[in-house]
Amino acid sequence: MDVTNAIDCNGLSAAPTLLRIKQALVGLVDHALPLEILVDEGCDQERLRRSLGRHGGAVRLISRPQ
Amino acid sequence: MPDLNVDEIPSGASVPVSADGVSPEVPDFAFDPTDPWTETFQKGLERAGLSGKRIYEVGIGTGINVAFLLRMCGAAHVSGSDLDPRLVVLAERNVRSLAPEEANLFHPVRGEVSLIDTEEAQARIAETDVIIACLPQVGDPGDRRLTAFRKAQSVELPEGAGEKADDHIAHYYPWAAFDEYPFNSVGLGLNEALLRRIRDQAPTAQVIMNFGCRIGTGIIFEMFEANGFRPEKLHSQIVRQDAGTDISFFVMLEKALRGTGLEKDLVCVFFADEDAASPLSASEAQDLLDRDPDTPLFHEVCVIRAVPVAA
Repeated sequence: MDVTNAIDCNGLSAAPTLLRIKQALVGLVDHALPLEILVDEGCDQERLRRSLGRHGGAVRLISRPQ
Repeated sequence: MPDLNVDEIPSGASVPVSADGVSPEVPDFAFDPTDPWTETFQKGLERAGLSGKRIYEVGIGTGINVAFLLRMCGAAHVSGSDLDPRLVVLAERNVRSLAPEEANLFHPVRGEVSLIDTEEAQARIAETDVIIACLPQVGDPGDRRLTAFRKAQSVELPEGAGEKADDHIAHYYPWAAFDEYPFNSVGLGLNEALLRRIRDQAPTAQVIMNFGCRIGTGIIFEMFEANGFRPEKLHSQIVRQDAGTDISFFVMLEKALRGTGLEKDLVCVFFADEDAASPLSASEAQDLLDRDPDTPLFHEVCVIRAVPVAA
């Protein structure tokens, strides 16, 4: 998968990942969405998506083997 | 032989003075070396077994740690650099007065050096055993993107927090400039940037870094592990929160997690007392400051040694 302008969250646990996503979303215009988020393979994507709440639709979570 | 033992020096006064009683020169633009962060760092350095080691300090400041490493720790030689070119000149003067017999073992990298981003700094780093640093962990309150994030969390910047003291760059870093680094989300972007550079330029070198643990020690350890290092705590003590450093950065991190189900995953760690018996979140600490700006607050400072896993 070709990923460009993705936000790298590799190495982060759930809370700092969520913070990074929220920080990245501040000030972004709609046409820049969805934002691609690189997460660890072990990331609990469902939990993270639940935590994102209304922001969930603004991001696309992507994991790939390190 | 060094004639001072840091354990014999009273708390808050770890700055080594030369045998003839000379004190370091400390202009306003330099981080105050009598700050307990320096004392903590030096106790950690003393425990690190640095005799005969080649050391590089990123962010050399007044040169107080250079003098300490040469006089007290028996370092083979010390190199170092700073973002503020005035500080290297100052450090040279201070090392000459505080450690005159060892001053020839100090090899400063002159000029403005961000982290280790010059050829000379990288050449020095490549022949170094141990790299030490104590870098800011709070985004600059004036950073435009950080300001936007602060507003999104409805966190006010306390009165006066946006004013720049002479030693501003010793306390804050340009947050948005380090946003490519994942741990920037919790204020560790500058530190992570240094780890990545060390991994590239000196892959077998150890790292010893001094941290304020307001964000929690666990997440600092995670940063080392994510970047290929195995961390261990060398020394730790509780210090008073610097009255001039804005803590609303930590408040906005906590607020951004409210209502997400992850609130308990990241709670900043302050204390109401120097015995660390009464923990406070950043939000609770800020509430106390809002009621009385002179409220004493405390937090842990710890010295972490990290060894590259691949080495």
